[in-house]
Amino acid sequence: MDDATAAAPASDPPARPAPVMPWHRRLVQALLYGRNVDRDRKARARLGLGVIGFAAIYCVIAGKLVIFAIAPDSHAARRAGSGDAVATARPEIRDRNDQVLAIDVKRPSLFAEPRRIYDPDVGIELLTAVIPDLDTNELRQRLGSKRGFAWLKREITPQQQEDVRRLGIPGVGFLTENKRVYPDGPEVSHVLGYVNVDNTGVAGIESWLDRQGLADLHRAGFASDRQQEPVVLSLDLRVQHALRDELLAAKDKYKAKATAGLVYAVRTGEVMALASEPDFDPNNPRQVLDKDRTNRLTYGLYEMGSTFKAFTVAMAYDSGRFNLSSMFDARTSLHYGRFTINDYHAQRRMLSMSEVFTYSSNIGAAMMARAIGIEGHKAFLRKMGQLDRLHIELPEVREPMVPKPWKEVNTVTIAFGHGLSVAPLQAVMGVGALMNGGLLIPPTFIKRSEADAQALATRVIKPETSMVMRYLMRLNAEKGTATKADVPGYYVGAKTGTAEKVFHGHYVKTRLMTDVMAVLPADDPRYVILIMLDEPQVIPETHGFATSGWNAVPVAAKVIARIAPLLGIAPRFDLPTADKLILAAAKATQ
Amino acid sequence: MRLLHLIVVAALVSAAVYVYKIKFDSTLQAERVAKLRTDLRHQRDAIAALRAEWSQLDNPIRIQGLAQRHLRLKAVEATQFDNFDHLPDRPVALVPPDVVDPIGAMIDMAAPDYPTGTIKTPPATR
Repeated sequence: MDDATAAAPASDPPARPAPVMPWHRRLVQALLYGRNVDRDRKARARLGLGVIGFAAIYCVIAGKLVIFAIAPDSHAARRAGSGDAVATARPEIRDRNDQVLAIDVKRPSLFAEPRRIYDPDVGIELLTAVIPDLDTNELRQRLGSKRGFAWLKREITPQQQEDVRRLGIPGVGFLTENKRVYPDGPEVSHVLGYVNVDNTGVAGIESWLDRQGLADLHRAGFASDRQQEPVVLSLDLRVQHALRDELLAAKDKYKAKATAGLVYAVRTGEVMALASEPDFDPNNPRQVLDKDRTNRLTYGLYEMGSTFKAFTVAMAYDSGRFNLSSMFDARTSLHYGRFTINDYHAQRRMLSMSEVFTYSSNIGAAMMARAIGIEGHKAFLRKMGQLDRLHIELPEVREPMVPKPWKEVNTVTIAFGHGLSVAPLQAVMGVGALMNGGLLIPPTFIKRSEADAQALATRVIKPETSMVMRYLMRLNAEKGTATKADVPGYYVGAKTGTAEKVFHGHYVKTRLMTDVMAVLPADDPRYVILIMLDEPQVIPETHGFATSGWNAVPVAAKVIARIAPLLGIAPRFDLPTADKLILAAAKATQ
Repeated sequence: MRLLHLIVVAALVSAAVYVYKIKFDSTLQAERVAKLRTDLRHQRDAIAALRAEWSQLDNPIRIQGLAQRHLRLKAVEATQFDNFDHLPDRPVALVPPDVVDPIGAMIDMAAPDYPTGTIKTPPATR
C-alpha cells in the first residue's frame, strides 16, 4: 500500500488538472489523504488486493474440500480401529496336516474412562451386579480417580460384554484383545513354547516367530490384523500324541524321573514329533518356571552311551581300514591309566566288527577309536555335527560339553559314548546321516520338502558305509541287544545305549540314563526314533535289569507299532534277514 | 449476453448437483466398505474361535479318553493291514443275478428234478 502511494507520484507527474471539487470536500481529502493523491488509482489498487485476498481464501477452501473428498473415510477408519487389538496378532501355527496348534482368539476387555463417569457409585453397583467377581473397593478406587483410562477387567465373556453394554453406563467401553490359545494343551508344549501377556513369544517356535521379524511388525503396529500366513510345522499331531502317550505310560511304569522321545524323518531332517516329559501346558505358562520341565532333547546334554558306538563303527568302516570281519581282541578288559574298560555283555573272545556292535563291546569300540587317533576321531565327530552347537528354530539349545583338552583317554571313552555330552537331537541328526545314505541334514521344526533338504545336505560318509550301518542296526534288532524293538512287519533296526549318570563327580551304577535309537524300516530308512528314560527303576517285569534293552527298547517297540501306520509304512512280513537283504545289496553295489 | 449468463448459471447448478450426488454416493459406498470390513473382521474372529474350539474337541488326548471310556476298540496291529494285491477275486455267483427266490434257484440248480415250489417270474409275454 505504501509502495503504491510512493510510486504513484514518481511514475505519474502531477500534470493532470485537478478535478473541480467543492472546498469542504477538498479539505476533508487533504486532511485524510494528503494533497496530491489520486484516489481513483488508489481505490483500484485496493480493490485488486481485496480480489487477490479473497481468491486465495477460496483457493484454500477449495483445496481443503478436495482433500476431504479424497480421504473421506480416514475418520471412520480411526473410529472402527480404535476398539481393536491392543495385544498384537500372531500367525496361526499348524501341524503338517493343517491341524491347528496355536491360534489367536479375540477376547473383549472392559475399561473405563473415569473422567467421563458421572456417578461412580451407581456405576459400581451396576457393574458388580453383572460381573460378580469384580472387587468393589478396587473398582471404586479406579473409577474415583480422574484418569483418562483404567482397565476394569481383562478378558470377559461375550455374555458379560452384552450385559454391560445393556447397562448403558457412559464412560465404560470394551477393547478386544488377541489372546493366544493352544487347543491341544500340553500335547505339543516344548516345540510351540508360549507367549507372555503382550502376545510376545517367549519360548519355542513362538519366540522364533518373533525373531523372524514379527516383533518388528508389532512395534511398527502393522501386525494387528488376522491376515498373516499360517506357519506350518513339521510335526504330525497324531504321531506326537502316540509318542507322548507311550512316554507318559513308560514314565509311570518304570518310575523314571523323566522320559523323552523323538521321531525324526531322515530324508528331510524334519522332526515329526518331540516329547519330553514332564512337560507343561502352554495355556498356563506359569508351569514353565519349574526346572524339571525343560526340553531334554534340545536343552539337555547327555552322554548317549552305547548308541554313540554307531558313530565309532561308522568312522572305522568309513576310514577304509576296517571291514565287517576285522577282528578286535575283547578277551581281557582294557586298562587305560586309572580306567578299566569292561564289556557289559562280556564275551571274552575275539570279536568281529559286527559283533562289537551287536554285543555292544566297549573294548572293541575303544580299540577302533584308538586306531583312528585323536585328530581323526575329533574331525569325524565334528563333521557329524556332534561337537558344535545345534542350529534349530528353538532357542532352547545348549552347546555340547566337549572335553578340553581332548586326550587319548577321551577318545577311548567317547568311542562308547561316555565323556562327551550332546543334545539328544544332535545325536539323532548324526544317526540320521548314518542311515540316510550319508547326508547330514540340519534338523528343522518347519515343514520341508525333500528337495529343499537335499540342497542343505552335506555328504559326511560314503553311501556304502551307510548301507553297512543299516545292516548292523537291523542285525542288532535281530540278534543283538535290541531284539525287543523288532516289531513284526516293520523291519526295525535299533541300537541301545545305557549310560551311568555322573553324580557328585562319579559315575553311579544305580542312576542310569537308558536310550535307544531305532530306524524304521532298516532296509530303506525313513524315520529314526529316539526314546530316552532318565533313571528308570527295576520292576518285576524286567527281572532285575534297568538297562536300555529292558525298558527303553520295549517302549520304542510300542511307539513304532503305533506310529508306523500313521506314517504310512506298510507292514511286510516276508522279508529275509539282514545279511540276505541289506548286506547282499551293499555287496552288489560294490 | 443474458442468455449466456443463464446457461452458465444452469451449468453451475447442475454441476453442483452432480458433484453433490457423487459425493453422497461415495460416502454411502465408503460406509458400506467400512461396515463390510468390520463384518469381515467379526466373521474371521468367529471363525478363529470356532476353529480353536474344533481343535480342542478334536484333540487326540480327548478322543483317546472318550474312546477308552465308550468303545471297546483295540489298537490296530500290523497283521491287520494288507495290500489290495492280496485280495482274492470275487467268487462266481452261485445264483444267477435276476432270480426272485435265490435258495429255490440253488436247489433247482443242484437237483433239477426235486420239486421246490419255486414261483418263477412269469415270462413277460403280456
